[in-house]
Amino acid sequence: MKKRNAFARLLSNTATWLVLFVFSFPFIWMVMASFKTQVQIQSPGNFFWFRPTGRNYAEVFNQYHFFKYMINSFIVAIGSTLASLLLGLPAAYGIARYRLNGLGLTILAARIIPGISFLIPWFIIFNSLGLVDTYTALILSHMLVGLPFVIWIMISYFEALPHEIEEAGAIDGCGKMKVFLRIVLPISGPGVMTASLMSIIFSWNNFMFSIILAGEKTKTLPIAIFNFLSYSEVNWGGLMAAACIITLPVLVIALAAQKFIINGLAAGAVKG
Amino acid sequence: MKRIKNRLGACLPALLAVALTAGCGSGGGSGASPSSSEGAAQPFKGKKITFYVANHPWAETIKELLPEFEAQTGMKVEIQGFAEDQLSQKLSVQLTTRASDPDVFMTRPLQEGRQFYKNGWYEPLDGYVEKDKAEIDFEDFSKSALDTTTVDGKLLSIPIISEQEVLYYRKDLLEKANLQVPKTLDELEAAIQKVHDPDNGVYGFVARGQTAVLVTQVSSFVFSEGGDFMQGDKATVNTPEAVKGFSRYGRWLKDYGPPGVLNFSWPQAMGVFAQGKAAFYTDASAIYKNAVDPEKSTVAENVGFASFPAGSAGAKPYSITSWALGMNAQSDNKDAVWAFIKWATGKEVMLKTQQGGNPGVRNSVWNDPEGVKGFPAELVEVIRESSKVGVGHDRPLVVNVGEARDIIGEIVIQAILGEDVQAAADKANQAFQALIDGEK
Amino acid sequence: MLASWMEKRFKWIVTLPALLFVLVMMAFPIAYTLRLSFFEWSMSAASPPKWVGLDNYIALFKDGRFWHALGATAYFSFGALAAETVLGVAIALLLHREFRGRGLAKTIFLLPMVATPVAMGLVWVLIYEPTNGIFNALLQAIGLKPLHWLGSIGQVIPSLMVIDIWQWTPMICLIVMAGLTTLPQEPYESADVDGASRLQKLWYITLPLLRPTILTAVMLRLIDVIKTFDIIYATTQGGPGTASETLNIYGYVLAFQYFKLGLASSLLVVFFLLVMGLTLALIVVRRNTEVSS
Repeated sequence: MKKRNAFARLLSNTATWLVLFVFSFPFIWMVMASFKTQVQIQSPGNFFWFRPTGRNYAEVFNQYHFFKYMINSFIVAIGSTLASLLLGLPAAYGIARYRLNGLGLTILAARIIPGISFLIPWFIIFNSLGLVDTYTALILSHMLVGLPFVIWIMISYFEALPHEIEEAGAIDGCGKMKVFLRIVLPISGPGVMTASLMSIIFSWNNFMFSIILAGEKTKTLPIAIFNFLSYSEVNWGGLMAAACIITLPVLVIALAAQKFIINGLAAGAVKG
Repeated sequence: MKRIKNRLGACLPALLAVALTAGCGSGGGSGASPSSSEGAAQPFKGKKITFYVANHPWAETIKELLPEFEAQTGMKVEIQGFAEDQLSQKLSVQLTTRASDPDVFMTRPLQEGRQFYKNGWYEPLDGYVEKDKAEIDFEDFSKSALDTTTVDGKLLSIPIISEQEVLYYRKDLLEKANLQVPKTLDELEAAIQKVHDPDNGVYGFVARGQTAVLVTQVSSFVFSEGGDFMQGDKATVNTPEAVKGFSRYGRWLKDYGPPGVLNFSWPQAMGVFAQGKAAFYTDASAIYKNAVDPEKSTVAENVGFASFPAGSAGAKPYSITSWALGMNAQSDNKDAVWAFIKWATGKEVMLKTQQGGNPGVRNSVWNDPEGVKGFPAELVEVIRESSKVGVGHDRPLVVNVGEARDIIGEIVIQAILGEDVQAAADKANQAFQALIDGEK
Repeated sequence: MLASWMEKRFKWIVTLPALLFVLVMMAFPIAYTLRLSFFEWSMSAASPPKWVGLDNYIALFKDGRFWHALGATAYFSFGALAAETVLGVAIALLLHREFRGRGLAKTIFLLPMVATPVAMGLVWVLIYEPTNGIFNALLQAIGLKPLHWLGSIGQVIPSLMVIDIWQWTPMICLIVMAGLTTLPQEPYESADVDGASRLQKLWYITLPLLRPTILTAVMLRLIDVIKTFDIIYATTQGGPGTASETLNIYGYVLAFQYFKLGLASSLLVVFFLLVMGLTLALIVVRRNTEVSS
């Protein structure tokens, strides 16, 4: 019995790391490319053998105002996620507990509409309100992408939570709002983390809305990637370095979120 | 959530730091000291105009020279840069809503010129030019360049950059095979066949193979056989001359080209050439740096430039205006914009932008040895020659250029796949004619 | 007083803000697009939109390119989605065990989703490049024939599917993993008493309990995969020819390259109804398969 368990574990572990390698390969490729020159990037022979250069990264920060773009992306991502959580968590709870399917579908419709449909109408509205090139416009537009996501992930999560805990709270004399705030939310850690992470990622990478609604003051990172593609030259190295830099902050957030999830899981296990 | 709030709090000092330093260094790191002419010599003091540009080396040079202009005129010019496609998209969305921003923008007369004109987005510049004809030395502009930006007799934009189709080739491979630089397309075909050696990693020929982007490159092949996309209002993509041009291009890619050519835009085609895996490459002059810069190319010292070879109707590469400056018809600062355009297309500035490797449109700058010192010597000759014999368009002169390119590009796709080119051309001709008729 | 008022209206108080927000943000764009689908307009400031009634819809249904785009969308979406679901669930189960480096593994696995699609698209173009790219180099190194990948009409959609599967399997995995944490312990304890094997527990307990979560993940992914734009735009722009042109790409081409806003709007309306229908179907399926605890 023990032998079979050990073997099964070895198999699982190998499978795990193999899967991880396959999925991170393009990323590894990109990181390596960010330290190569243009010539080396385009020649497969140089995949492993090359002398790394930090020039691409220097270029990114010196020439292209990247720090400013990063701050903008940060503000919009965090802002739209917080707002989505504020509106979305209660809504998801309501929809899950009261089975408000129609409402859920309406909110989902926002995500079903192809992004292109929004471009001109939103520009018209935001321009007339003088909100083009402001964080407000970007946060609002990104919320339309994040909010349905937050709501639907949390619907699933809330539905799976056993009712006994809430019933216990009700018996103790807590009103519905208190039950939600004091009992349900604290044990929703993993779901909230997942939903928030997704919302941040979608906002961070959003390209279409930002092109139309952002200006010089609020330009976000995905647009900045295109700075490396000019009409008559393509700076692959710089582009790779930029792409790596863009990915880094979200990665850090994800790592932090993972820690929270693990802690949250432990707490949930004790309570449950 | 708490953690996120903490993180935001931690960002605040960084935010402040960035806000304080963000004001400095808006691309003007060249250390050019502005000429200190104050007061009366600042006619546009307090005015601000927005300028949308494509990510283009020309724009980079302008950004460097801008502080001087701003000091002289007192106006602020806010430049926003986009990739080519995004620029078009952003312009479309904003101009369609009659926004007054941007005041001035880079535009591609052959790609969107007629569409923008039809939509009423350009402010015609004839009046402005008339007024300042002598000051800007209007005669100095190349005639064909101005023809490109003139529709229905109205001057819609001022040309800034020109482009020609040239033949990139590998000097070392030619030498090894004892060949001369081909002067006709038939000679070129023979040369391609001789050096084609895929087993040793060298393909005879490479060029763009993606449907829409190849149309501009195959145009020279068609022109050099005496054909064209249209004659007046008649679609002519299935004439024997046109079909000969399309077939040749497609056949060369099919038989002597690298794999996967159907997804090749210029970065991929140039990638193959710059990695030393192709002997001959026909494409625009504008991208030459990617071939001769040792950081970008393994064959930098062995790259030669030749004029587009002759077909049965002579050598007729395209020689066009690729970019021009247009004024927004809804701009609130038209006089300021005109002052800016005059400056940006003036002799001094064009000398500097051309020195940066952007072929300009002023004859005086081309004839000035200072003006051509930025290019490889061989390329200068090729550009001069091509401008003399070249055709002023590289795509159909219709409003709906995007759709026309998709229709026509399909012909070459069929050629690359080895299908019946005449049948494809007939089908395309029908669709193209319908498009032309629909625009009347 | 306020408390009891809130108590009664709780259902509406919690859901109204989100609903209002979505309606306000959606209303004008939907009305605008719907209205424009009955007109013909080239975005001209000079000539206003021209009423054409149902002509756009009729032209659309007669348009071979529309049907081709529909087919390409279906092929790409369902192929990628199927693979992502199977892989996502499998990997979620794999990562759910206790093992060393688990936190790090889960973070690494997020990478594909986190990377900017636009940038990754360009990376994939380089990786897939038949002459200079690493994939063909690897294939040749192990003695296989190189492929054309994105440059072949037959191979382009599967190649794009690989990119999508690579990028979004982690999302399904993440959602399912969160769902795994909510699974109750009792069924497993009783199964152990009954002497059930690992496989039996997986098939008869875990998967059925996970079904609502999996369906949520599938539904969210379905909506996005059908609308896939960034990756296709960054790699092939719908080519070669129109081999990889999906409905969303065709819509973009019609609007911003052909300047046929009326026709584009009608396509977007049809597209919306299509996806809405599919989503509704999925929601119905999901509601019907809820396992009562």
